[in-house]
Amino acid sequence: MGRHLLTRLWHGLIVVFGVTAIVFVVTRMVGDPVAMMLPLEATAEQRAAFEHELGFDRPIAVQFGDFLAEAVRLDFGDSLWQRRPAMEIVLEKLPATLELTLLGVGLAIVLAIPIGILAALRPGRALDQSTVAFSLAGLSIPQFWLGLLLIYVFAVRLQWLPTSGSGTPAHVLLPMITMALPALARLVMTVRSAMIDELNQQYVKTARAKGLPLARVVGVHALRNALVPVLTLAGWEAIRALAGYSVVVETVFAWPGLGLATMQAIERHDLILLQAVVFTVAVLVVLTNIALDAVYQRVDPRMKLA
Amino acid sequence: MTLRQIVRAAVGAVLLAALGHAAQAQQITIALGSEPTTLDPQVREDGSERAVNDNIYETLMARTREGALVPGLAAEAPKLVDPTTWQVKLRPGIKFHDGTPLDAAAVVYSVQRIIDPKLKSEQASFFSTITGASKVDALTVRITTNGPDPIMAARLYWLKIMSPAHGASKQVGAVPMGSGPYKFVGWNRGRDITLEANPDYWGDKPKIRKVAYRFVSEPGTRLAGLMAGEFDLITNLLPEFAGRVPKAAHVQGLEHPIVILNADGGITRDPRVRKALNLAVDKQALAEGLFEGRARVSTGQLLSPSHFGFNDKLKGYAYDPAQAKKLLAEAGAAGKKIQLVGTSGRWLKDREVIEAVAAYWEAAGMKVEVKIYEFGEYLNRLFDRNTRADAIFVVNSNEMMDADRSLSAYYKPGGVGASNKDARLGQLIDAARTEVDPAKRKAMYNEAVQLAYDNAYFVWLLNIEDVYGLSKRLEWTPRVDAKILVREMSVK
Repeated sequence: MGRHLLTRLWHGLIVVFGVTAIVFVVTRMVGDPVAMMLPLEATAEQRAAFEHELGFDRPIAVQFGDFLAEAVRLDFGDSLWQRRPAMEIVLEKLPATLELTLLGVGLAIVLAIPIGILAALRPGRALDQSTVAFSLAGLSIPQFWLGLLLIYVFAVRLQWLPTSGSGTPAHVLLPMITMALPALARLVMTVRSAMIDELNQQYVKTARAKGLPLARVVGVHALRNALVPVLTLAGWEAIRALAGYSVVVETVFAWPGLGLATMQAIERHDLILLQAVVFTVAVLVVLTNIALDAVYQRVDPRMKLA
Repeated sequence: MTLRQIVRAAVGAVLLAALGHAAQAQQITIALGSEPTTLDPQVREDGSERAVNDNIYETLMARTREGALVPGLAAEAPKLVDPTTWQVKLRPGIKFHDGTPLDAAAVVYSVQRIIDPKLKSEQASFFSTITGASKVDALTVRITTNGPDPIMAARLYWLKIMSPAHGASKQVGAVPMGSGPYKFVGWNRGRDITLEANPDYWGDKPKIRKVAYRFVSEPGTRLAGLMAGEFDLITNLLPEFAGRVPKAAHVQGLEHPIVILNADGGITRDPRVRKALNLAVDKQALAEGLFEGRARVSTGQLLSPSHFGFNDKLKGYAYDPAQAKKLLAEAGAAGKKIQLVGTSGRWLKDREVIEAVAAYWEAAGMKVEVKIYEFGEYLNRLFDRNTRADAIFVVNSNEMMDADRSLSAYYKPGGVGASNKDARLGQLIDAARTEVDPAKRKAMYNEAVQLAYDNAYFVWLLNIEDVYGLSKRLEWTPRVDAKILVREMSVK
């Protein structure tokens, strides 16, 4: 197990390095950050002088060498448009995105498991059909539009909650629900189909036949087996949100997270900030995957490595 | 924040949020489209930074609501003491928020700071003529330039004055400190910035006691916040939302969407084609259809009436599709291909305007090839001096409010976005840049603007209005220079 973990970490390190290097090269190949920073009317000479001050006129290999030397100390340099350390910005924004992701995906899991099980108990009946219909609706509604709709109903009409922003628990409710809904829709479908599969297995019939209560059969034996695909999907939802999909919710609700900062970094061609973001997200994705592996092994002993 | 805390606080917070809507007198909330990237007033070209810092920092020269230059921190307009030296006298007794005097030393420091390449200021191009500053006495400063510079007063309207101690502090980007009517209170990154009135302000006392800035990039959410009563003022209101806000305010803005035509080669080399491309576009329909009337038809120049150099005799090309077709036929251009380069998502309704222009040109008989590029790639095309596209869409916004900046960039041969080799036009613009007699200078711009109009070097489209959404209680008239000065606001 220990050796396996080391191997995984080593592979993860290669992934992080590879992604960071690719982003470094690509961001310097496409577009010129200086042209975007200065007013359009600045002259070519003024742009060249500015490029020199920022050091972007040096050969790309030299820039990459300097970058690596600093990056091993987790120093990615100063963000071009905020003029302060890029890592400071990332670490400032990350908690908000983690909060939104954990609450949103957490809410989705907590709701998806009971709803999915209830639907699976009597496939094809009214409850099951309405669950499927709800899931399809949840998958079809654009998150953007859903967010604005929730704002309109709960903040503008009813005035129960603030329209946007952060800082109090009241601020988190609508973004959390908006974040959760598409994930909930996907998870419910997965729980449902996994449970239907499990409930048709021989061991379930045996357990029932020897007199185990339904709740125990479903809630302990079948659910444990059905959890593997659910965990896979939940992990994917979390990674997806961290890797950038949270930007939709963050934009609509002015939620000060990493997704919004990344979007702005791309728009403004802030290479330095972008590198810090990509590095951090790559690390998070690798760690999430490793954590997920560990959970798999707890849930399903067949996955244990010799 | 843990889940437990959330559950515990949820009920109370919901209640609190509801109560928070209750408007507090003399305290307002302004929603900006983005968070200021820094609160150092001299390093970036960032509208959100200006929106906040325009209330904290001041400049030697100021402008009236209609755009006329008037003394700010200066006691009077700067005086030319020799062809390359301007002298500025300061008002006595002005203090920074920390109580230190705003004197000649502070002005000298502020000038030297912004022109220092080490600051890497994105505003440096506004001050490229300035070579230095020196103190004459406690309240008198001399600013030297690399040649006669008639634009000095307009430049000084852009140069924010900082205290030397503050400029050198590590906190300069996070904790602003100026001499203006509002003092910095706090900045919760990602959340809000709060200012309060400066009781010792030297000018008219501000009426609003406290102002909070929020950062909401989604226009629909800004609108919702205004409708829910959380915000008193929202910027960049989409024209189609203007009918749904409690109060909308608008003013003729500084943004001019135009199309640069290549006068040096290709299909647009023929002046008849360039005129036809002007006549083919129904500018009034664009203003009404795309901007709900919140845009004015261009007068055929890249200047607003508030800009120095504006030619008030120019009328702009009419919409005359029949004449356009006739000119294209005469030039043998009917049915020929023309390339129109643009970008999307950078300026208000840029793609819509480009597509509408293309449709009008098609209707006049051209084959239009629209190329919408990502902004970075688009800039490569705009700045490409070797191969000029037939037609390039661009929006010019000249906050210095002096013709030199716009004309040097787009009219003058060799300018970053210019597509003509008109020697006379270049001479006029160069001469006007160093002409210190305002009347002569204005005459030069009027001639330059007329010349470009006669040769149809551009398709002039619109002058877009700035539209703001206001709460019912807020009293405010927007300014032509787009500054959001809280001291000009009051609440009922």
